[in-house]
Amino acid sequence: MYFNQLTSNLSSRHAPVESAGHWISENRFQRLLQQTALLICLTCLVIRPAIAQEKITGVVDGSDGLRLAGVSVSVKGSSSGTQSDSTGHFSILAKKGDLLVFSFIGYETQSIRIEDDMVLHVLLTALVNNLNEVVVTGYVSEIAKNISGSVAIVKPRDLVAVPAGQVEQMLQGRVAGLTVITSGEPGSESNIRLHGIGNFGDVTPLYIIDGVQGDINSLNPYDIESLQVLKDAGAYSIYGVRGANGVIVITTKKGKTGKPAIAYDAYVGETFPTQGLHFLNPQQNADILWTALKNSNQVDSLGYPSDPWYGYGPKPLLPDYLVNLNYGYPANAAEADPSLYNINPGAPIYQIMKFSKGGTDWYHEVFKPAFSQSHTVAVSGGMDKSHYLFSFGYLDQEGTMLNTYLKRYTARINTEFAVDNFLRMGENLQLVYRDNPKFEKNLPDYTNEISRVLRVNPGIPVYDINGAFVAVDDPNFGPQSNPVGARVLAKNDIGNNWQVFGNAFAELDLLKYVTLRSSFGGTLTNYNSTLFHYGSYAGSSNSLAETSGYSRSWTWTNTLNFSRTFSHGHHLEALLGLEEISNYNRELGGSRQDFITDNPNYRFLSNGSPTLGITNYSFASSSYLSSFISRLNYIYKDRYILSATLRSDGSSIFGPENRYGWFPAVSIAWRMTEENFMWASTWLTDLKLRASWGSTGFYGNTDPFNQYTLYNGNALNAFYDIAGISSGAIQQGFSIVRIGNPKTGWQKDVVSNIGLDAILWNGKLSVTADWYNKTSTGLLMPIPLPDYIQGDATPPNVNIGNIRNSGIDLMLGSKGKISRNWRWELLVTFSHYDNKIIKLNNLPYIDANGGQTADNGFLVRNEVGYPIGSFFGYKVIGLFKDNEDVAKSPTEKDAAPGRFKYLDANKDGVINDLDRVHFGNPNPQFSIGINIGINYKNVDFSTFFYGSFGNDIYNGPGAASDIATSAVHRQRILNDSWTPQNKNGNVPRLEAFSYFSTFDAVNSYPLEKGSYLRNKSMMMGYTFPLSSLSKIHIKRLRIYVQAVNLFTLTKYSGLDPELYGYVSQVPLGNAQDSKSSFGIDKGNYPNNQIQLLAGLNLGF
Amino acid sequence: MNSRKLLLLFLTGAAIVYSCNKNKLDQQALVSLDESSIENKEGVEALLIGAYSMLDGISAPAILADGGAGSNWIFGSVCGSEAYKGSRKDDMAEITSLEKFIPNASNPQLAGKWLAVYTGVQRTNAVLRILKKAKGISRADSLRIAAEARFLRGHYHFEAIKIWNKVPYVDETITYEAGNFRLGNKELIWPEIEGDLKFAMESLQGKMEAKGRANKYAAEAFLAKAYLFQHKYDSAMPLLQDLISNGTTAGGEKYALTNKYQDNFNPDQKNSTESVFAVQSSVNDGSGGYNGNLGDIFNYPVNPDGPGGGCCGFFNLRKYLVNHFKTDSNGLPDLYNFDVSDVKNDEGYASADSFTPYNGTLDPRLDWTVGRRGIPYLDWGIHPGYDWIGDQGFAGPYSPIKNIYYKSQQGHLSDASFWTAGSTATNINLIRFADVLLWYAEVHAQVGSIDSARYYVNLVRERAMNPDGWVHTYLDPADPAHGFTSTPAANYHIGKYEDPWPNDRAFALKAIYFERMLELSLEGHRFFDLVRWGIADTEIKAYFLHEKNTRTYLNDANFTKGVNEYFPLPEAQIDLSAGPDGVRLLIQNPGY
Repeated sequence: MYFNQLTSNLSSRHAPVESAGHWISENRFQRLLQQTALLICLTCLVIRPAIAQEKITGVVDGSDGLRLAGVSVSVKGSSSGTQSDSTGHFSILAKKGDLLVFSFIGYETQSIRIEDDMVLHVLLTALVNNLNEVVVTGYVSEIAKNISGSVAIVKPRDLVAVPAGQVEQMLQGRVAGLTVITSGEPGSESNIRLHGIGNFGDVTPLYIIDGVQGDINSLNPYDIESLQVLKDAGAYSIYGVRGANGVIVITTKKGKTGKPAIAYDAYVGETFPTQGLHFLNPQQNADILWTALKNSNQVDSLGYPSDPWYGYGPKPLLPDYLVNLNYGYPANAAEADPSLYNINPGAPIYQIMKFSKGGTDWYHEVFKPAFSQSHTVAVSGGMDKSHYLFSFGYLDQEGTMLNTYLKRYTARINTEFAVDNFLRMGENLQLVYRDNPKFEKNLPDYTNEISRVLRVNPGIPVYDINGAFVAVDDPNFGPQSNPVGARVLAKNDIGNNWQVFGNAFAELDLLKYVTLRSSFGGTLTNYNSTLFHYGSYAGSSNSLAETSGYSRSWTWTNTLNFSRTFSHGHHLEALLGLEEISNYNRELGGSRQDFITDNPNYRFLSNGSPTLGITNYSFASSSYLSSFISRLNYIYKDRYILSATLRSDGSSIFGPENRYGWFPAVSIAWRMTEENFMWASTWLTDLKLRASWGSTGFYGNTDPFNQYTLYNGNALNAFYDIAGISSGAIQQGFSIVRIGNPKTGWQKDVVSNIGLDAILWNGKLSVTADWYNKTSTGLLMPIPLPDYIQGDATPPNVNIGNIRNSGIDLMLGSKGKISRNWRWELLVTFSHYDNKIIKLNNLPYIDANGGQTADNGFLVRNEVGYPIGSFFGYKVIGLFKDNEDVAKSPTEKDAAPGRFKYLDANKDGVINDLDRVHFGNPNPQFSIGINIGINYKNVDFSTFFYGSFGNDIYNGPGAASDIATSAVHRQRILNDSWTPQNKNGNVPRLEAFSYFSTFDAVNSYPLEKGSYLRNKSMMMGYTFPLSSLSKIHIKRLRIYVQAVNLFTLTKYSGLDPELYGYVSQVPLGNAQDSKSSFGIDKGNYPNNQIQLLAGLNLGF
Repeated sequence: MNSRKLLLLFLTGAAIVYSCNKNKLDQQALVSLDESSIENKEGVEALLIGAYSMLDGISAPAILADGGAGSNWIFGSVCGSEAYKGSRKDDMAEITSLEKFIPNASNPQLAGKWLAVYTGVQRTNAVLRILKKAKGISRADSLRIAAEARFLRGHYHFEAIKIWNKVPYVDETITYEAGNFRLGNKELIWPEIEGDLKFAMESLQGKMEAKGRANKYAAEAFLAKAYLFQHKYDSAMPLLQDLISNGTTAGGEKYALTNKYQDNFNPDQKNSTESVFAVQSSVNDGSGGYNGNLGDIFNYPVNPDGPGGGCCGFFNLRKYLVNHFKTDSNGLPDLYNFDVSDVKNDEGYASADSFTPYNGTLDPRLDWTVGRRGIPYLDWGIHPGYDWIGDQGFAGPYSPIKNIYYKSQQGHLSDASFWTAGSTATNINLIRFADVLLWYAEVHAQVGSIDSARYYVNLVRERAMNPDGWVHTYLDPADPAHGFTSTPAANYHIGKYEDPWPNDRAFALKAIYFERMLELSLEGHRFFDLVRWGIADTEIKAYFLHEKNTRTYLNDANFTKGVNEYFPLPEAQIDLSAGPDGVRLLIQNPGY
């Protein structure tokens, strides 16, 4: 965070988010200083001394790779001085032999004697000690050393070090206490959890961008000036009912006084698909099937199995050709005659394809190397009374899965004006266009496209004998079933949105110590998507679905800020405010079918059949939040800090009884090193102890109309042809679509935090440690209701229970210089949390199905005493070794040698549903991020590791491949299956059917350890010396190469142990599902793909 | 203070005034209506339509659940030995575990059926609850609406009791608001079902304003059926008698068998005099196919140019069923040895191989029930056997036909707007008059008037004897649309039971049970009939024996008497019945 607000009166007043008026006294001082400096400079220019003074120019960089603007440059022993401009450039008059002194907050001061060089490249060493940084927190700016709450700061440079495209993903491992799980899909959202899992649904933090709630994934990461994570109630309670998941406060870059500066940042790279999984070849598959059929007595009187593909006999014979995927034939069979081939409607489908004896590598047919690039150009500058910044960014991130991509165009315009010496106005505006079609991820039962890639029989080729796509599941299902076909044909699907985001503000110095600030801002989003389904070969219709909509939200914030430093070291700040937030969205969609052609240019609804299969719909929702904000901050002698906040929120989402809530918080801090008795300590540069307690809330996951029982009807669910007309006429009806609960109120969190910030040896080592305890009461969740109450309606969110998260955040930093040319930097974050459900109101447990239909029961049971998302079912304690083992074991349905022996949890001698136990926990025990940076002269090297340890994964597709009749198998089924000879095998006996005692019950067989350590980034850069650049008018040039996800250390056998949790929609069986069902491998877009990049940072 | 300061102060003042306006937090619901908006005639009538619309077992948010289908094709017919699940082995294999009587309590088809019937219950209760508060409804309308709703509530519970035996009864006083919704299933709920159906019978008129509504006689028929399921033959008898003498359809026509057997399955002929109560199906109505027998949508041959667009080859019929249709020289079935040999079929033959169909005598109803090689398949052409079957080795050689619409009806009585083309306007007959007649026969046999029983069986057979109603050959087999000859498509020979039946109840019942198979197979009744007759285990085991060498996947099928007459309650629903103490009020059926 290299804020130069302190040195620039304008920008400090316009501190990026809310009012910074409490710095008024300092600002005036700064202004005076600056004006003095300016005057001196002018004097220098006017009264040019006789001694040969020369113009020395140069640029100032920080050791952390940033250009430094606002660095104070002075000539020792003289009164002349200046500042570096927004591109780090400076020019000063001095003579040979003078000592130039460069100083800047957060950096070691450096002196350079002028010798022959007229052009200097100055490198300032960054201090860990950023005590005087200005940090934007809730509605105010604070000086880092005076913050009493827990606030983590992420450097913009660290953010962009991982070229993820989206800011959310860049936060992984950067902040202790923040867990980020993401997927490799371009443009996908991540699961972000601060301090464990605070509720059963949406746990995404609140993002405040330039003071307004915004969409972090629309931001161009290069536009970010600062990013703070507010981690305790002392810091985030001021956000009241929106604060419970933590708050991330972002400010965007502003122009700085000086000539226009141009910055250009770019990279290009290539992403390579992972190795995929190693499956058995078609012959091995067929052999396994044969064994299974024999084992299950699926044989004729001669003892031979048969199969439509592999024929009949003692051994399976691989066919040469398949017809319609139904039957296999040898090459000379009449059925394989190419003249029979037909895939056109009008005659029976007869698709002939060559059996892939070597095995089709479906994974690498769908996942291909992918190109990405990013370019950002920013122009910024300013004069005394006005500052501007304009930036344009283009991101083109291709996913390795065919036709997945994110193309994002961003434009940002930030301006500020000092209209008067007591009135400042400005705006921050961002325009974004995103082109990011999505594929359906949330399909149940491992049927999404990635799952399918992992489950298609390798004997099937991608194309038939005439080059048309083979339909994989069934010719009746059309080309969509072939995962390659599905992706290739998805090429012209549209998924884009436009967004206008920003705010305008005015600040008025009303009285000497009082500033009034008004900000009005918000987001306007329009989106449009189309999905085209091709008709099947068998003649089912093609169809087009199109969706468009918009959402708008506005926030109007008015604050009154008082700030005054009294004599005797008393400093007082107070904030009073009102905030109004309004949200509205509306969507329109429709579909048609029977398009005469699949031509992409013809995909418009009106071109479909005018009579058949026409659907359309629209809906809207709306909500309102009205709030009162207050805050009091008292600092005594820079050492005792007390901060108190109180917010009141009123929300339209809840019924009148529970509409309003109050959220108080208090935090205290003691900077021990300011005490006289501590002066003796030389190794301890700074030590601050912090404690906070507060209350915050959460109202997410909750429909704006949750309080109402609602009725409507549509043709699909409630209309009925009561008159028996049969076609085209139907009577309208109603059904209950939502069951309301007017008594539901918001979730309330009580958060305690104790922490310390220590800086040792003047920044060689810094430590931030926090312990927290967060009790969330009245968690909002739809209450599961019996079918006879719920029917097909949406159940209400109620306050369903309480959970507690407690944990430790640790951050260790270290920086230093080995020699003049060698510097190093280390940053380690460590996060640990314990999550436990401590109470459920009127419910013994809440089941979730983990994204599967309930054919085997529910996988996730949330129950008091257990962590959220814990896996529930029968625990496999081994395989039955033999009949004797079966006989002496508890009675179990379908027990037989080679099948699962379940734990008799209640020891009653019978295995039944009472023996289901919590058998796995998807929560990690801890996660770490390690960032290592080494600089040698102009060469910088950095690498970043992220690891998550101690979590369990339910590898559904992996286990499914151990079913003998599956289309794909892992190597282990060959070696580890139970046989009478291999009684110690751990894969069940090969059988043609599944049983309760094999795969027909939810059991712990698919459980695997999910720990991993990943090298997220390894980067090497070179900054050209200024002397070589000034001739071509370049102020800065750095080039770098980078490897992303170079390696991952894990024992997990699936594609990637980092598993994004989806909200899935599985209506059957009534279980609720949410992002709290995680750690379940449902075919995730892997996020561990190696990417190689080259990039440059250029400044004019 | 200058004008700019004043302006900003003014804005601040406006903000404060605005913030103090609390009305903006009173958010009205958008898109849907709240309860007070529908407490009127339009609202209650619409809710009643919504309650009817669950008869097909399908509502929009649900994933397709064939188990929920109003036709009961899985539970009634597949489990009742009439048909295989069909298609291919791995296609919806959870139905196979039902077919084999080894289901888990978490089988999604069972969950789907439970959801379907209890969503029906929820909707009827909404009608009754809002009706009590509604204004401006005449007393007559109010009574009718309540009666229709209670009829439906009785029906939905009846469906549940058939499948699970002990189930919870839910009336309109059970609500989320009242917090009284944790229910157990200790008792059989026949008295409550009877109460609902009786109220409907006593309150409704014979003639209704729309053909699809339940009328007095529909309620009476369901009540009679409820008595039959409890073996209360004496109670059923007068109701059946009244139905036969006085019963009318909702359209006001007197009940009578149609002239042609097939009219009962033809969407052009629906709501005939034989239709006592049916699920109304509708297509091209803006629902994307959701109102057209969606629960049966996979049950078409795999011929892509055929009905349903070739999706997806489910519901293939069993040889065991087909063998019932063999007749002797008197045109009567062989009650005892019908299954000793199979009707000649094309299993093992490709469509290109030559094949001559069975030339023995057959009941003509066979070819309106079973699509088989060599016989016209409505107007879709001669059934080619193999090519129309998903996996013949798994599913056998036959296709279903009662649920199939005619090619000439394609487009106006079918609908391709679902992802298959199989949405159809064919009604699902829940009770048709032939069913009533055979019940009456059964009741006569049970109370000892054996020969009266024979009379009612013969009424049903007589209709089947009408040669106009048989399947005929095509005028031009290459162009089925050209029409039919008057030549029967196979060697049909059917007669009445001319000889008086001996005074032997067992024999009479055997004949009646057999007749129900011939007349009503594939209409979702068989399994429930077998259970109420108490012969499910013997019949189903006999059938499994028949299959032993042909369908190896049934080798581990297992019917246990005292267990498999009913299915396991959905595990999720049992788990949901737990109170805070963890005690689950719903009790699982024995053996699961």
